Formats: sequence, C-alpha cells, structure tokens
Amino acid sequence: MVFNSLTFIVFFACVLLMHSLPLGWTTKKINLLLASYLFYSAWNPPFVILLWVSTVVDWYAAQGLVKARRQSARHAWMLLSVIANLGMLGYFKYGQFLLQNFTALMSAIGIAYHPAHYDIVLPVGISFYTFATMSYTLDVYLRRALPARNLLDYALFVTFFPHLVAGPIMRPTELVPQFAVPRRATADQLRFGLALMTIGLFNKIVLADSFLSHAAEDVYDTSKIPGTLDAWAGTLAFSGQIFCDFAGYSTTAIGAALCLGFAMPDNFRFPYAAVGFSDFWRRWHITLSSWLRDYLYIPLGGNRYGARRTYAALMTTMLLGGLWHGANWTFVAWGGLHGVYLSIERALRARFAGYRPGPVVFVLLGLFTYTLVNLTWVFFRARTFGKAWEVLRGMLGQNGGVEPLLSTYRLVSVAVIVGGILLTHWLMRTRTLESVIARTPALLVCAIWGLLVFLIVIVQGEGNAFIYFQF
Amino acid sequence: MPSSTSSSEVRPDRYARQTASDRPGVAQPVPVRPVPEQPWGRIFLGAVALFAVLLAGWEAHWRAFGVTPSMNNDDGLWAIQRRRIDAGEGTATVLVGSSRVFFDVRLPVWEKLAGRRPIQLCLEGTTPLPFLEDLAADPHFTGRVLVGIDPQVFFTGFRYREGALKYARKESPSQRIGQWLSMHFVEPYFAFDDPDFALQTVLERQPWPARPGKPWLSEVRKLSLHEADRNSYLWGKVESDPQYRELARNIWRQGFDPGLYPPPQKLKEIIKAQIDGTAKAVATLRARGVQVLFVRLPSSGEYLAFENRMYPRAQAWDQLLKVTGAPGLYFEDYPELRGYELPEWSHINASQTERFTTALYAILQRDFWGPAATPPAAGVPPPAPSAAAPR
Repeated sequence: MVFNSLTFIVFFACVLLMHSLPLGWTTKKINLLLASYLFYSAWNPPFVILLWVSTVVDWYAAQGLVKARRQSARHAWMLLSVIANLGMLGYFKYGQFLLQNFTALMSAIGIAYHPAHYDIVLPVGISFYTFATMSYTLDVYLRRALPARNLLDYALFVTFFPHLVAGPIMRPTELVPQFAVPRRATADQLRFGLALMTIGLFNKIVLADSFLSHAAEDVYDTSKIPGTLDAWAGTLAFSGQIFCDFAGYSTTAIGAALCLGFAMPDNFRFPYAAVGFSDFWRRWHITLSSWLRDYLYIPLGGNRYGARRTYAALMTTMLLGGLWHGANWTFVAWGGLHGVYLSIERALRARFAGYRPGPVVFVLLGLFTYTLVNLTWVFFRARTFGKAWEVLRGMLGQNGGVEPLLSTYRLVSVAVIVGGILLTHWLMRTRTLESVIARTPALLVCAIWGLLVFLIVIVQGEGNAFIYFQF
Repeated sequence: MPSSTSSSEVRPDRYARQTASDRPGVAQPVPVRPVPEQPWGRIFLGAVALFAVLLAGWEAHWRAFGVTPSMNNDDGLWAIQRRRIDAGEGTATVLVGSSRVFFDVRLPVWEKLAGRRPIQLCLEGTTPLPFLEDLAADPHFTGRVLVGIDPQVFFTGFRYREGALKYARKESPSQRIGQWLSMHFVEPYFAFDDPDFALQTVLERQPWPARPGKPWLSEVRKLSLHEADRNSYLWGKVESDPQYRELARNIWRQGFDPGLYPPPQKLKEIIKAQIDGTAKAVATLRARGVQVLFVRLPSSGEYLAFENRMYPRAQAWDQLLKVTGAPGLYFEDYPELRGYELPEWSHINASQTERFTTALYAILQRDFWGPAATPPAAGVPPPAPSAAAPR
C-alpha cells in the first residue's frame, strides 16, 4: 500500500495500537513483521514469496559465512547471496530489457530473432530490498558486521514496512541492533514522527502530484515539440517533482518509523543547494549513493590505484547506478552524465586544489550545478532518446516557432514552487530540519502543521504511486 | 564515489549529525533521530484544532456553493460495477456509453420495470468502444448491452476515462480497501471531496492571463451526482443556477470550434475506424448470443446543431447501424423521447430522468427486447410510435 492512501492511515493506526499494547517484545516484533508482510502483499500478494526468498537466502548465506573456515567457502556463500539477489532483480526488472537488446543485436547482424512474449510484472520495491539484504551478507563477508542473532530480527530488518519498498536503503547494522531491545516511541517522538509524516506527504501529495507533475507530463508525455520556455519549465517541474516525491517518501518513512520508536537514516540533505556533484551525491539519495560507494566503487578499487582506475571505477559505478533506476538506456545515460560530471569535477579539484570560491562564486557554482543536474533529469524523465533530444534542443533554444505547451497557470506554479524549493534548500544548506524547528516559535510550528494537513486533504490526492516504486 | 566535500560545512549544533556519506567503507551505526525541543503536546492539539477549523470552513464554502456529498465517479467505483459481471451477473443488462446514458438513465426506475438493476459502465467523455471490446472478450458476459452513442465522443474515439479499464484489471487489494473506506467514511459526508473542488483545480480555472498562442480552455465543470452503484444524474445547480448553466454551455461551445477537429477527410477515416472497431466487437458479442442495441439519446440547442453539422446522421449513425448490423434507437424517431429539458443542451434535467427512463424502457421492450419486439432493420426508422409524447 502507498503511504498516501486511506488504507495506509487505517493500517498505520492499527500498527500503532498493536505496538502500544502491553505485549512481550518478541510478540511486538512478530506483529511488526506480519504487518510488514501485509503492507507489501496489499499490492500483489504472491510477491511476498520473493521477499521470503531474499530473506531466507541471505540468512543462510550469512550463517554459512560465519561457519566457513576457508576463504573459498566464504567467497562461495557471498556469491550465492549476490547471484540470488541480482538474479531475481535481473529476471524481474531487466529480463525484458535484455531480451529487447538481444533481439536488436541479432537484427543488426542480420538474424531475425523472435523471442516469446515476455510479460513479467515488476515487483514493487525489489531494487530496494534486494540491496538491503545484499548489504547484510556483504557486511558479514567484509567482516564489518556480525550476523543477526535470530531470524525474526533479520526478517524484520528486511521487511520493516517504512523502508521496505523505497528506502531509505537500510544497512543491517543500522536497524538490527534496534530490534534487540524493546522500543516504543515517547509521546514527543510520536508527535514529531507524525509531523515528519505530514511534511513528507505534503511534499508528495501537494507539491509533486498536484502542482508539478502535470507540467512535466505536458512537456514530456506529448508528441508536440517544446520551445525554450516550455522545455525548461517542464524539466524544472520534474526536478521539483522527483525531489518532492522521493524526499517526501523518505521523510514519511522516517516519521512512520519514529512513531514506532525506531530511527532511520537521512536520505536527503537539501540537494539542490549542492555545489559540485560530489556534494550533490552527498545530499541526494544518500543511502543509495553510499551503498554504491561501499559495495561497488570501493571494491572496484576506488581511488586507491591511480587516476585511470579511479575514473573507471567512478564511471562504472554511476553507469550501473543509472541502470539500477530503470531498465532503459536513458537511465544509463543519466548515470553516465553524472559519472562524467563527477570525473570532471575530480580533475578540476586536483588541478585547482587550493581554490576557495568567494560567496558570490559559491552561489553561482551552486546554480551551475543545479542547471547541469537539470540536464541529466531530461534523460531520467524522457522515455526515449528521441524525446530527450527534443527537450534538450528546446532548452538550448533550437526549437523555434513551435506552439506553447504550458498554460500561464502551469508556468506560474512551476516558477513559484521550484523557486521556493531552491530558496529553501539554500537557506537550509548547512542546517537540519530539527534545528530550524527547534528555533521556530511553537505557535508558528502549530500553524504550519495544521495548514499542511489541511492542504494535503483539500488537494484530494489520487493515491498516485511514488516514482521510485518503479525502481 | 563522492567523498571530497567536508562535513565541516554543516554548522555544528545539537541536532547536527553525520550521514552514511560521511562514513565510507565502514559498518553504518544506528542512526540518530533527535526530536526538536518544543511543546509537542500543545503543538499537536493546536494543529488538530486549526485543521478542523480550516476544513469546516472549506466544507461550509462548498456547501454554500450548492454542493452536496456524492460518491466520487472514479475508476474504483467503475471497477466495482465491472466486477459484477465476473461475480455471477454475466446475464445482466450492461449500459456502456458516455455521459448521456450515464446521467439520463435512472437505474432504480429501470430495476422497477425490469426486475433487475442494470450494470452502469458508462464513462463520461469516453467512447464505449474499448468497453465493448472488453465485454466481447469476456466469456462470462452473455447478457444485453445498451450502447450510448454521443456523436462527438463516439465518432472521434475520445477516451477521457479509458484508464478505468486498466485500473479495474490491476486494482490492488490496497486500492480496493481504500475505495471501500472512502465510500463509507468520506464521500457520504464531505461535499468538498470531489475532484472539481480540489485546490489545484480551483486555482487552475481562475482567469489567468492567456499565454500568447495558448488560448485558455476551461475543463468541463461538475455536472453530475453519483450513487454507490453509479446511478447518476445531472447536478441540480446546472438547472437552478443560470450563471452556472451558462458556464456549462460556454464550455461546450469551446468544443464547437471546427478548428479543433481534424480535416474532413481525416475525420471520415477516424469515424470509419470507430465504426469498424465497433462492428468487430459487436459481431463477437452477437455470436455469443448477446443482444446489442445502440441508442442516441437527446441533445438540444447549439449542441445538437453542432452534432448534426459535424456528424450528420446519414454519414455517422446510419452508417454505424449498417456496418454493425445491430439495431439502433434514435431519440428523434420517438416523440416520447423528445421535449425534455436539457439545461446545458446535453443532459436531461434530473427531475425528468425518471419519466425519460420509463419511456425509454417501454420502447426497448416494445420494439427491441420484449417478447413481441420486432426490431427495425438496421438504419431504417421504426414504425410510427404509439406512446404519447412527454409532457
């Protein structure tokens, strides 16, 4: 079920009630586990089996890793986990993509290959929970963590509903220890958790779905060619939409966990105020970028084997990171562009090691970063390269004489909301949400909270799925 | 991966904390999630009170505008009706079409006359073709189909609500539960809960200055009220509020601009494609013993003039009956289906729909579906009607 639904409100109220009953800790954990399975099966019940497969395989792989004496045996257990998880991911998420590309390749060399129809439904959130379970085995393999003490704690780590389908991608060391001792939210944690959920849902339902998504759709989901203003407005709208959608989900998830007494890590840190791309990736989807860094970039050599190897590792990581987002070459292009940006930045930082920009240049560099990030969003949002080039040409002023696509209302809403997002990110750049709330008069916090809930209700969200569910 | 920006950029305060990006290559610790110091109890109560006051004001505003609570005519509501066919009602009469059969035919009246309530699957602004194809492909369905033909929608193949079919096929358990909750705890009590009064919709229809080259076109406003089984009828405000009625007419007028439509030759091709697709679906249905009847319900004023101009009967309706071989009922052929009040030229005044449904059902029984019915040949007007004209 999605957070932005009536079903979730009832489900969450029941979970909170069950969690507050005077039951034993093990019973409460079983309740949470069953609730999490219910949460997942509310999309498509049979896919719970995949969750079980992923859970059981990694549980036994980690047990095997601990008991193994020889390095080759440890290696084998680790590979079992990686192959099982990536195999599942590959079959469900990339099967169609691989088949299409294979067919195209055959066709290119003159072989007419007609594969059987491949009609597989992508299980919601499979990319997220396979990465979470893999991090468990890999941490044990890398001797960074001990395996969970019991299957219940481990299964709950994999399945815990706030992070299950769209992250933040949790590491076992972040969550499993929290299941070791009884946890229940204090009254203030519960209220602040609800406040965080309100902020998250406001981002998703009001800003992303109700005001920004339509402008992006009007530009990207039409056969018409956008002019300069429309191409930029549609792309800026998408930059705001994807942030509000995904950061909104993360904030709601963090709030939901806090209401139950659990802490989840930050996933976003006001990324549109980033100066440079290494800074951007420290602020955008932090749990994914750090996962890729720890389990892909560093094992590929990181920056330990010279410049050439570093750049190769960087590009490989970003290309695969792009592919993780979706089975389409446009996502690979998106990742590749970020890889190129990061590589150029790395080279520039090495060349101008002592350079420290003044405040004006600093802000200009930030805006330049945001502009380049927007260019990458074109590939992320466009369904085909043809559409991406069309929008890029528009952004570069090359589509003259075309009819306008967006109404004045759409242009104004994009300008106001995206402008507001940018301003907020810059004001919050070195702050935390908590520090700002702590310094705000209680009456104002109260008024904003009440107003946000009111706005969430009166835009009458349609329960749209979060964008990242498809990944 | 990125690692060069120092975390010293974050001003140290008691709520500052590191993230996974600050700790490369190590086991990540249990996260810190501090609660800002505030009187959260009072804040929470105040926020709830403010929300309640604001919501009460919003609800009062829309009630003062003339809105009453009604079921939302959404895909979930449609899916409930579509599932009835799979759940043992495959022999029922199904209504497909656009808004005219949707708003003009009253299900309780039909049930009273027929002893069985029909399944209402019409969708406003949407050609019935994909739904006919869906029924044709469903072996569970062996009943009767009444196909509403609103020329502007049907012959252009317009598919405003086509997504309902996909939704019904893929509706998740969570969505079904949400639909049930909404129908029992929200929609019967709150007038504001209607897409037409969503904040963004209200903002969008304000008189924003038109962008050069992008004329402002108003979306169709709320026209109808709906019940749980999609028994629907024209909203009283359209009839009682002259300003709102004129607004509705002006919105229709926007669509009368011939410049919005493809050139004549292209339009002919589109009409042919719609008719051919329908003929295929009808053939499949009739091969299974399903009775299919096309109905052209009343329109009036400028709307009727537009329809007659763009889709002349001889080239559109008659052609449809000829190609499909199915019988049809055209309101102009039956005095008892004429003379009703259509406040915005397209739908019958709610207070007259019971009488209209009674008259329509009588014709169906007499000329098409009753035991003694002898349907007129396709494309040929029926014999002189016997029933009295409406009052």
